[in-house]
Amino acid sequence: MLSSLQNPRQAAAQLMNFGLILSTAFMMWKGLSVISDSPSPIVVVLSGSMEPAFQRGDLLLLWNRNLVSETNVGEIVVYNVKGKDIPIVHRVVRKFGLGPDAKLLTKGDNNAADDTELYARGQDYLARQDIVGSVVGYIPFVGYVTIMLSEHPWMKTAMLGIMGLVVVLQRE
Amino acid sequence: MATSQEKITVYNLADLKNTSDDAIPNYLNSLGFRQSHHLTDVRLALGYSAFALAAACFAWDYQLGFDSTKYFTAAAVAAYTLLNGALTLWVVYAERGTVYVGTSPPSAGGERTVRISTSTTKGVPTYHLTVEVTGGKKNGGVEVLKVARAFTEWFDAAGHFVAAPFQAMLAGSVPVIGKADPKRAAAAKKESGGDDATPAYTPEMLDVLAQANVSVVGSAAEEATGAEAAGKKGGKRRKA
Repeated sequence: MLSSLQNPRQAAAQLMNFGLILSTAFMMWKGLSVISDSPSPIVVVLSGSMEPAFQRGDLLLLWNRNLVSETNVGEIVVYNVKGKDIPIVHRVVRKFGLGPDAKLLTKGDNNAADDTELYARGQDYLARQDIVGSVVGYIPFVGYVTIMLSEHPWMKTAMLGIMGLVVVLQRE
Repeated sequence: MATSQEKITVYNLADLKNTSDDAIPNYLNSLGFRQSHHLTDVRLALGYSAFALAAACFAWDYQLGFDSTKYFTAAAVAAYTLLNGALTLWVVYAERGTVYVGTSPPSAGGERTVRISTSTTKGVPTYHLTVEVTGGKKNGGVEVLKVARAFTEWFDAAGHFVAAPFQAMLAGSVPVIGKADPKRAAAAKKESGGDDATPAYTPEMLDVLAQANVSVVGSAAEEATGAEAAGKKGGKRRKA
């Protein structure tokens, strides 16, 4: 097993296989980004503010191109607020104007009030470019793994370590 | 560290195959074959350039954000797909499981290119070798030999690789190798003795040979090898 590391070409090939697994995963993600025109085409729901539609841990698939029609009232969108790095999944409830200058107001289905409180200081509405994408599909619960991993960072380290070891030690 | 001293799990087909695969270059290079790394080098070049592209894409995405770089990212994704596709095609159609490409020493009846690819079938402990010899006397035609032998012929029950019967198998079934190593070829001929069904070495003999290999570790046994450099580098000792 480890004796194969004596041969530089074989060692290089094994390192390459490990690298290609990582880079292929990354490039698939980027490919999805490019196709959906969204910086983050898959997100995990972190709060219960959209229950009963989405629960904590659901995986959402996003689409950020307005090919057929523009973003309308009733669509569930994921948006970023300046100064906060956690994207928020809520429904569009009001829309004023059309096109890229339309003003959008969002609200969580499970929240009592709309999102003006959540927006940045002085911001009363969302513009189209604040939106990362509209939800077009979801997979229940699958994303809970990432919640676990981000809440318990040691799990992330352990998982990466184990994966790396397996790839390095195993041929075939 | 000689691999003969390293035990493998005899139930692990991948281990059996990999250990045998690793022994081929060691043996042939020790006979004076010049190994060509062309296939591996192209594979490494393709793979590492794909990886470098992904790393660059990661860097500009991290530094500049998605929106300002998305056309570059799209181009990088397309190029990465092409490179990875080329790599897959190379592995499937160009390498075809090749473990060794090399040129035989001129002393063994002219230079010929030997290309050895190996394979196993899931659950069957048989080593399939395909040997292509190019540049023979018949106007440079390709001569293809197929050999299928049981791993039990050169692994003992404990999982030690025993070099002698493995080398005899190669020398006995591939004429070019036989010419470069007449001693092993003769041994193979003598042992098989006309009855092809019986393996050249019995399990008891394998155990004895493995034992002998273990007992010479660290002693002055090195002087018996004709392939000191190869033995040191590749970790395999060819005892003549």
